[in-house]
Amino acid sequence: MSCQKFCVAFLHWEFIYVITAFNLAYPITPWKFKLSCIPRNTTHDFLLPAGISKNTSNLSGHYEAVVETKLNSSGTYLSNLSSKTTFHCCFWSEEDKNCSVHADSIEGKAFVSTVNSLVFQQIGANWNIQCWMKEDLKLFICYMESLFKSPFKNYDLKVHLLYILLEVLEESPLLPQKSSFQIVQCNCSVHECCECHVPVPTVKINYTLLMYLKITSGGVIFHSPPMSVQPINVVKPDPPLGLCMKITDTGNLKISWSSPTLVPFQLQYQVKYSENSTKNMRKADEIVSATSLLVDSVLPGSSYEVQVRSKRLDGPGIWSDWSTPLTFTTQDVIYFPPKILTTVGSNVSFHCIYKNENKIVSSKKIVWWMNLAEKIPQSQYDVVGDHVSKVTFPNLNATKPRGKFTYDAVYCCNEHECHHRYAELYVIDVNINISCETDGYLTKMTCRWSPSAIQSLVGSTLQLRYQRSSLYCSDVPSIHPISEPKDCHLQRDGFYECLFQPIFLLSGYTMWIRINHSLGSLDSPPTCVIPDSVVKPLPPSSVKAEITVKIGLLKISWEKPVFPENNLQFQIRYGLSGKKVQWKVFEVYDAKLKSASFPVPDLCAVYAVQVRCKRLDGLGYWSNWSTPAYTIVMDIKVPIRGPEFWRIINEDNTKKERNVTLLWKPLMKNDSLCSVRRYVVKHHTSRNGTWSEDVGNHTKFTFLWTEQAHSVTVLAVNSIGASSANFNLTFSWPMSKVNIVQSLSAYPLNSSCVILSWMLSPSDYNLIYFILEWKILHEDNEIKWLKIPSSVKKYYVHDHFIPIEKYQFSLYPIFMEGVGKPKIIDSFTQDDGKHQHDAGLYVIVPIIISSSILLLGTLLISHQRMKKLFWEDVPNPKNCSWAQGLNFQKPETFEHLFIKHTESVTFGPLLLEPETISEDISVDTSWKNKDEMVPPTTVSLLLMTRDLEKGSICISDQCSSAHFSEVESTEITCEEESRRQPSVKYATLLSNSKSGETEEEQGLVNSSVSKCFSSNNSLPKDSFSNNSWEIETQAFFILSDQHPNIISPHLPFSGGLDELLKLEGNFPEENNDERSVYYLGVTSIKKRESDVLLTDESRVLSPFPSHCLFTDIRILQDSFSHLVENSFNLGTSDQKTFVSYIPQFQTCSTQTQKIVENKMCDLTV
Amino acid sequence: MRCGPLCRFLWLWPYLSYIEAVPIRKVQDDTKTLIKTIVTRINDISHTSVSSKQRVTGLDFIPGLTPVLSLSKMDQTLAIYQQILTSLPSRNVIQISNDLENLRDLLHLLASSKSCPLPQARALETLESLGGVLEASLYSTEVVALSRLQGSLQDMLRQLDLSPGC
Repeated sequence: MSCQKFCVAFLHWEFIYVITAFNLAYPITPWKFKLSCIPRNTTHDFLLPAGISKNTSNLSGHYEAVVETKLNSSGTYLSNLSSKTTFHCCFWSEEDKNCSVHADSIEGKAFVSTVNSLVFQQIGANWNIQCWMKEDLKLFICYMESLFKSPFKNYDLKVHLLYILLEVLEESPLLPQKSSFQIVQCNCSVHECCECHVPVPTVKINYTLLMYLKITSGGVIFHSPPMSVQPINVVKPDPPLGLCMKITDTGNLKISWSSPTLVPFQLQYQVKYSENSTKNMRKADEIVSATSLLVDSVLPGSSYEVQVRSKRLDGPGIWSDWSTPLTFTTQDVIYFPPKILTTVGSNVSFHCIYKNENKIVSSKKIVWWMNLAEKIPQSQYDVVGDHVSKVTFPNLNATKPRGKFTYDAVYCCNEHECHHRYAELYVIDVNINISCETDGYLTKMTCRWSPSAIQSLVGSTLQLRYQRSSLYCSDVPSIHPISEPKDCHLQRDGFYECLFQPIFLLSGYTMWIRINHSLGSLDSPPTCVIPDSVVKPLPPSSVKAEITVKIGLLKISWEKPVFPENNLQFQIRYGLSGKKVQWKVFEVYDAKLKSASFPVPDLCAVYAVQVRCKRLDGLGYWSNWSTPAYTIVMDIKVPIRGPEFWRIINEDNTKKERNVTLLWKPLMKNDSLCSVRRYVVKHHTSRNGTWSEDVGNHTKFTFLWTEQAHSVTVLAVNSIGASSANFNLTFSWPMSKVNIVQSLSAYPLNSSCVILSWMLSPSDYNLIYFILEWKILHEDNEIKWLKIPSSVKKYYVHDHFIPIEKYQFSLYPIFMEGVGKPKIIDSFTQDDGKHQHDAGLYVIVPIIISSSILLLGTLLISHQRMKKLFWEDVPNPKNCSWAQGLNFQKPETFEHLFIKHTESVTFGPLLLEPETISEDISVDTSWKNKDEMVPPTTVSLLLMTRDLEKGSICISDQCSSAHFSEVESTEITCEEESRRQPSVKYATLLSNSKSGETEEEQGLVNSSVSKCFSSNNSLPKDSFSNNSWEIETQAFFILSDQHPNIISPHLPFSGGLDELLKLEGNFPEENNDERSVYYLGVTSIKKRESDVLLTDESRVLSPFPSHCLFTDIRILQDSFSHLVENSFNLGTSDQKTFVSYIPQFQTCSTQTQKIVENKMCDLTV
Repeated sequence: MRCGPLCRFLWLWPYLSYIEAVPIRKVQDDTKTLIKTIVTRINDISHTSVSSKQRVTGLDFIPGLTPVLSLSKMDQTLAIYQQILTSLPSRNVIQISNDLENLRDLLHLLASSKSCPLPQARALETLESLGGVLEASLYSTEVVALSRLQGSLQDMLRQLDLSPGC
């Protein structure tokens, strides 16, 4: 029985051993566990005698009470142990307080017993241990911390971890040999903390890690029981990062964080947060699987503190450490959403909670403002709760950027008080037009779009997205949730270009632009494009252009491009080739047509032709214009006509022969169609019949005209043939005498046009046309001619006519029978000359006539009076002392009359300021007449003298007078009305009144006056005071020699005067009593400076040429009151009047004239 | 079996919805135009002409010039060609392959307009040997495939005028 019992007991032992072998290693828990060790003997004492080894598998521990009593010892027990004391160690944890005791047998086998941990806790060495796998799944860490206080505290602590990675623990029921374990030394700190690092390859994270600890402290070695763990089960993640809090669009507080990416399993998170507001303070702790948590009922002006940690969601794992706490404080005004990015036309809403002075404003009191400038109507408000107000913006327009602000600021206000914080509203116009074009080879589609509409949104990125349908587009394109992005490249013109290649010709590409921004993303309205419908074909090829021979049409041919296969329409344009082609465009809708012909006005011009095409159904684009093709100018038809020609006849009077030279103008392209190779002259005479002569390209041909009639025709010949319509000209002797042109008149219109008109007489001959020939008279080398139809009676000849040339016009009637007699006129020049004279005549003739009548009347009247007066008062040389020896009728020089008395009279300065005037001088050709009676003379002066500006000079010859008119054309006829006595009248032309020249003038005047007065016996010299003469000098003219250069070119004065004076000089000789002798001292203009009248040194008159003397020159003055007053002093005789030759500085009025005549002294004897 | 008509209707529904939007006349025209386009494309590839005097052996998986009378047969033939062309590395044929896909879609539309069930053609077993042939004789495969495809397309063009059956 005992054997039986032994056998049973043995079997039972073996069974227990096997069972414990599998459970030998302590399974590491995700939480902390403890290692406790006690000396071996102690253990065996209470283990083995208890006989409970058989029940070691019983983890419940039935002997707790026993152990408590037996091992009621203290830590001092351990201190008495020697270094060779062997310890029993066990693991236990707070969750499982049974300690699994491990003991090594001699055979190397181990056995396990379970003891309550309390025993170890009280008498043994204890360590806290936690093992975990790092998040990177590469490092296994065991952390141990000593719990026993004193025994080994002062000893060096050395900890080694021995480990082995086993793929499957179950495969080896026995513990591996110690030699197969790897050992790592743990890092221990002075605080009795050690950390052991075991590298574990990521791929072996599911393996079983078998290990035990060897702790040496104070010479005592503790061997821990083996531990086993699968690293994957003890992964400890890192604390979550990126913790963030924000108010959501819905007004909640969103706590979010980022999840680690390395862990191969899902995580759960624990969030703990606290809210600290003025109202209350709350704490919460929530576990979520997402990486965010929403906290509702967020209040303005509150602070929130949050921490998060993570752990494996499914399966065992270790909580990570807590993240760094994050604090978030809400503002006094909370907008949710704080910013909105939306598109034009959309509706958006903002919410607001407003806290004012620790009190949340009632939502009913909240008003909304836009940009602090515009109150939003209350109709757009909405009360969401007691404190939440909502405003809605319907159908939004695009935001207009104000400076750098590209948004609208939306303010939530408490009645009349707005917080400075605002919400931002971005409204973007996303209507981006995408246009696509498929190339002519149908292999690629290029889409273009401009981002200009959304450039105001800073920080946005644009992306074209598309979705392709198998065939065609839907009626209303929509944005498909599944889409592909397309790379687009910005071009220089600001457009983005996206290339699709290869393409699906008939698939519908729905495209839109996605605008990505930190505030969100927007999509432009989608566009659907079928590549087949946006084809821009290649231009037609093989375009040719030609003018068809004999037909004369512009023929254009082309080849359609290879693609597309659809029917095409074509556009043709052509125009005269040049820098700027004026195109004519024609449409061709027949897809099969490959050529077209068009009538063109000019067959001999070069035409440029281009063709382009497009699908006949209107889809797609026009192709580019083809490369221009050009027509080649070539002969199209025979010349339309022969050249018009004329002849020059060189007549040899000695012989009855004439050399006829035919002239013609080269035929233009329009007539020659399009070139002339040669000209052929065809002759016909009655005697010789018809023959032809090849002239080549010459335009002149001479032949001998010998017969009575000779007909010629000039033909133009090109590569097609000879001209059919040609001009004939018959040279006929009899016909050359036929004259039907009665008259011919030429009227020049201008230098480029002359009108010719003619009259014809009736004729029996058959008039075909006229030839008008013109040339400059007497110049035969340049004859011009033109053909005029026979029906025309008037013709405008356009040419460059030189007005000074004389032209000869000849009008030849051309009859069927021959060339008639021409009418030749030279009227152009004659007519023109007459025309030129007409204007002058119309003015001059009436003036001459009226002047003549006036002068004639004056002459007659003065002649009668002078006849009576003059000769009665002429001093008798015999009785006048000063006049003795003087020939009044023929003085040699003017000074001879006065030189003796020059010193007796002095002159004062002239009173009038000199002025420059212009006066035209023209001397009529009648001065040339040497008749006895000088005809009335009109002299007009063009003088640049100021002295004469206001003066007028009347020059009269006997009773005739030559008037020196003023510039102002105040022509005054000074009629002398000496009543009683003839008077000698002197006039001196004063040219300037400069003080430096006053003496000259005085000298001159003194001389003349003194001599004059000397002749008057009744006047004593002394009676003339200098003062009075100083004033009187105003009354004299001295013709200036300061301006001879100006005067002389315009004044053929001396010549005319010479003649006149010669004529005057004859009077005394003729002893004509009826004639008055008047003198006038005038400086010879031609002699200029050399013939100065008076010099400063001599104070006498220089020799004065006799031819400068005038007769009957009156100088009128309209303003000489001083002179009048002074003249009383001169007047000694009531009976004798002095008619002064006063400088006529002013207009001579009738009244003045009377005063002069009545009150001035007369220089008579 | 009862769900047969319903399944058939559901299968045809996407095509019927297309037909509703696109006139069948336009589909026919587009089909013919696309066939012509593909033929022209093949013509433009210079090396595709094969002498009729020589018969190339070993490329039996490429459909021959047997008349294709029905839409389903056309689709099947085009599916094979598309698979062959897709396997060819030449850039020229990628566009043709895309065109074939469009063409097959058009044939499906035409078939649905005639209420023809036109199941999606599956890759044939014969093409299993394509990989090996391509490695050894790429040029021959491309030339012969394009040449025969051109002939088949021209044949289909004629058949389309005759209103082919299902």
